[in-house]
Amino acid sequence: MTGKITPAREVDCVGLFCPMPISRTKEEIEQIGIGEILRVEADDPAAEEDITRWAKRAGHEIVGFEKEEGILTFYIRRMK
Amino acid sequence: MTKILYVQTSGTDTPERLYAPFVLGTTAAAMDVEASIFFMIRGITAVRKGEAEKIRLGSFPSLAEVMRQAIGAGVRIYICEQSSHLLGIPPGDFIPEGTIAGGATLNDLALEADAVLTF
Repeated sequence: MTGKITPAREVDCVGLFCPMPISRTKEEIEQIGIGEILRVEADDPAAEEDITRWAKRAGHEIVGFEKEEGILTFYIRRMK
Repeated sequence: MTKILYVQTSGTDTPERLYAPFVLGTTAAAMDVEASIFFMIRGITAVRKGEAEKIRLGSFPSLAEVMRQAIGAGVRIYICEQSSHLLGIPPGDFIPEGTIAGGATLNDLALEADAVLTF
């Protein structure tokens, strides 16, 4: 499913821990247009729950998520 | 559904402070209240594998038994793994029922809860 998603921008949060993945994701999503997709990679295990809740509260939509060998990949559509 | 959040900041060095969130969480579930416990700072020492089995106070059952009851009743467990860096202890091997989480999750849980209690 995520193979069809073309992100407008990517942010590498591998090696970063709470709260940095959230802070970096917020900074980067503000650099793309509404409706475009940000791809976020992280390896902080807390990021799965944190980014999911951040997106919901910030009003953005997670349109794809993958977890492979400790690397979490989120595809987040900027909604506003 | 009504929600309540317990924040557990004290750990195995003060075992008398560890029972309350599990007992209250089990009670909340019986009251049809959705209960979550967020373990952070020293609180994370209580949810490392094998620790709850070692704690038994007064005439209470072991902490492991009370924890099992709470989890069985549907109480959700969140663990701030990063607190281990703060404490300078090795990252724990935590109970598998726990969800590793961080600041965004705690803020979100607190904001969506109808009440927050800290132990």
